[in-house]
Amino acid sequence: MSNFEKLGTGYSLNLTLDEAHILINLVEQLLELLGEGDFFHHYDSSDPLAQLLAMPSEIVTPDDPVLLRLLPNAYTDAEAASDFRRYTEPQIRSSKQRNLRVVREELTILVDEKKGGVIEELDANIWLKALNDLRIALSVRLEIDETSFEKFELLPENDQQKPVFAVYFWLGWLQTNLLDVL
Amino acid sequence: MDQLLDRPWVTIVWDDPVNLMSYVTHVFMSLFGYSKERAHELMLQVHNEGRAAVSSGTREEMERDVQRLHESGLWATLQRDDKI
Repeated sequence: MSNFEKLGTGYSLNLTLDEAHILINLVEQLLELLGEGDFFHHYDSSDPLAQLLAMPSEIVTPDDPVLLRLLPNAYTDAEAASDFRRYTEPQIRSSKQRNLRVVREELTILVDEKKGGVIEELDANIWLKALNDLRIALSVRLEIDETSFEKFELLPENDQQKPVFAVYFWLGWLQTNLLDVL
Repeated sequence: MDQLLDRPWVTIVWDDPVNLMSYVTHVFMSLFGYSKERAHELMLQVHNEGRAAVSSGTREEMERDVQRLHESGLWATLQRDDKI
């Protein structure tokens, strides 16, 4: 069973290889959905010209419900929401991408060595935010509500969604575990 | 008119069935520097009443707070404080 531990001033996470594979797979899917490699990555650049060239002329409200939940409207007024999105969404997107890339890099080491193990000296806040974004993404796809746990328990073992629900609840368990050791 | 311009803005956090109660409390403590008791109280207000005003100030300050809350995965909006 995986778990986070506090070691001195830092935190570590013990994962099996299967768990590392599940996590890295989810992280890569979410990075893809957030548009890894598109113009938004220029916002990480400190070059003012690159930032200027990367400034998109229009950022529209996302169609994808996962993206809309991760990057929600900040105002009920459509025009104010659109202005906020134009100036702020790229930064929020970059922040989420940075967290996920850090987590991916740490998981890659375990996956490349083809064995489970311990990730040491991890940044608890980055992991909390990344785990939360993964849970949100899965929750939208699974249409999670207050009754989902009971529904999950009643699903037959051969239901195709059962393993996805299991991963969703496992992520919640992991996040709770990290919050408990903070 | 002066009164209208001075009217503060508030950041509202909305309830959702995904964010863990302990995580929401943690985010309020780390983003706003609230005590554990204050953060817990606000989290319960979000959970029980569906929403809570978590900070107030100028529009620019509230936009910054909403940005940080979105970066942490909470569902937040800003608006003029309608209680005044």
